[in-house]
Amino acid sequence: MALLEVSDLRTHFFTREGVVHAVDGVSLTVEAGGTLGLVGESGCGKSVTALSIMRLLPTPPAEIVSGSIRFDGRDLTQLSERELEDVRGREIGMVFQDPMTALNPTLTIGTQIVEVLQRHLGLDRRAARRRAGELLDEVGIPRAHERLDDYPHRFSGGMRQRVGIAMAIACGPRLLIADEPTTALDVTVQAQVLDLLDDLRQERQMALLLITHNMGVVAESAHDVAVMYAGQIVEQAPAQELFSRPEHPYTEALLAALPDLDDPHARESRLAAIPGRPPDLIDPPAACRFAARCPYAELGDCCALEPPPLRELRPGHWVRSAHPASERHLARL
Amino acid sequence: MSATQIAGRIAGVDAGAPIRQSSLWQDAWRRYLRNRGAVAAAAVFLLMVVWCVVTPIVSPHDPNEVDFASAYEGPSWSHPFGTDQFGRDLFTRAALGGRISIGIGFAATFAILGIGVVYGAISGFVGGALDNALMRFLDALYGLPYLPFAILALAIIGTVDFWTMVVALSIASWFITARVVRGQIITLKENDYVRAAKAVGVRWYGVLGRHLLPNTLGVLVITIFLELPGVILGEAFLSFLGLGISPPDASWGSMAQDGRDSYRAHPHIIVIPSLCIAALVLCANFIADGLRDALDPRTKET
Repeated sequence: MALLEVSDLRTHFFTREGVVHAVDGVSLTVEAGGTLGLVGESGCGKSVTALSIMRLLPTPPAEIVSGSIRFDGRDLTQLSERELEDVRGREIGMVFQDPMTALNPTLTIGTQIVEVLQRHLGLDRRAARRRAGELLDEVGIPRAHERLDDYPHRFSGGMRQRVGIAMAIACGPRLLIADEPTTALDVTVQAQVLDLLDDLRQERQMALLLITHNMGVVAESAHDVAVMYAGQIVEQAPAQELFSRPEHPYTEALLAALPDLDDPHARESRLAAIPGRPPDLIDPPAACRFAARCPYAELGDCCALEPPPLRELRPGHWVRSAHPASERHLARL
Repeated sequence: MSATQIAGRIAGVDAGAPIRQSSLWQDAWRRYLRNRGAVAAAAVFLLMVVWCVVTPIVSPHDPNEVDFASAYEGPSWSHPFGTDQFGRDLFTRAALGGRISIGIGFAATFAILGIGVVYGAISGFVGGALDNALMRFLDALYGLPYLPFAILALAIIGTVDFWTMVVALSIASWFITARVVRGQIITLKENDYVRAAKAVGVRWYGVLGRHLLPNTLGVLVITIFLELPGVILGEAFLSFLGLGISPPDASWGSMAQDGRDSYRAHPHIIVIPSLCIAALVLCANFIADGLRDALDPRTKET
């Protein structure tokens, strides 16, 4: 059984302007010890999905209206706030996007890590402090034990992200959710942080849900990839398969938009872009959400009429499209 | 030294030997010290407090001793501030009055802070319907005029002494503080580090007590010195009208009241307590400004 099974999750925001269907029927699974990359453009609901799993969204305005989040057999949507507090940090850790704001500026980093260790593991102060030093060392902070008494503003962005990771893994969670962990970092530091996450995952046999808008990041470290668009998963497959045989037109377009440095004409040609914009999530189209931007929407009128179901084209390869790449020749006949 | 050695040394330093440990508060303290007006105001403020505390202990004059032979004396070596219509030494008496004025000022300010923090923190932290109800209730209270309400409160309590004055002056003046604290909590709640604290399973009281309230401390320190002048002026006003501290006790307000009848012939009796009030209020305002600039350097330009 998978470690995390999200099925048909719907998280809506009830605002004055209307109901925002930020996450609208997302299903995904993360295997124990594996890495699932969740990719999609800004505003497609990746972060809301992550925060829904952590149950960290403020209610109101956000509400999980249906679906289940089964973590190790328990449905997180059914737990009380008190029970959730025991799951967060202990069983599921989370790394945030912007390391500059994810640490409390008025507390030393030692204090902040010790707080977590004492909270979940019941260590006394001295043991917790020693453990905090070991954790900082593990995430690659030089002179870790000396730096426990430093305030966050004395660390660079990359170092702060390492501290954030140390906090998230402090109590040995079995799942680490990393929400755009490298987006706010310098390109040179991005690879280091990704490597660190992957090393930690292997050493600790921890599963990783890696959320990003960067296909390159996913290609580097994910076993499975789920592509998200307008609040829904449109394609999920093993990483190898997804990159070699993308089925959904959106995935194809995303991959085509990656600049190819090996192409001798790349410098002269323009970067490929996807025309149009994602739909308004207050009033999403009733049928296929990608239809308005899809080059294959004319192949049949079903695209504008009924929502395509998420179906398994090949074992492990799920697609939500009426015209996946491998079936298009049928439509043309 | 080879290039790699140099690079190594630079990297070593960069990797973070603490050059100078500094917390937010130490930075703020340094910024405050650079503000000359605020430093001077703090010095005068402290001096006045010391004067009020020490003078009645060491003074050769009994502040309540009536001596008609030396009534209405102007400033002299034995009576630096002169004497009043009963021949009481104004230097000692003003210090004694200062004890009560400043004492009531701080006590009422802390009461305001206490009520405001609890009310505002609950409202902002819980949010939702409770927040709405608490804030609408506050809106209703907002219409209460502060001084008439203080007078009413004193009338209801029946007796006038130090602590009833504190109650009267704080009962209708904590609304702004509550609102400020609520606003701070709501803003801070949106911070990623609060979400991060929740994401590692910190319980609600930990989030409130360790990650939210300590970060409002800067604002609270500023609020102390913003509220203080209003409370001291309120106390002076009530005592001047004869509704507050009454003889033989003295506050600056009641001393000014003593000098009201003879202000043409002997202006020093009313001028001295008035100057004390003015100096203290001015200092408090300067300190508040200095603290605000020191604790939130970004607001300095505006």
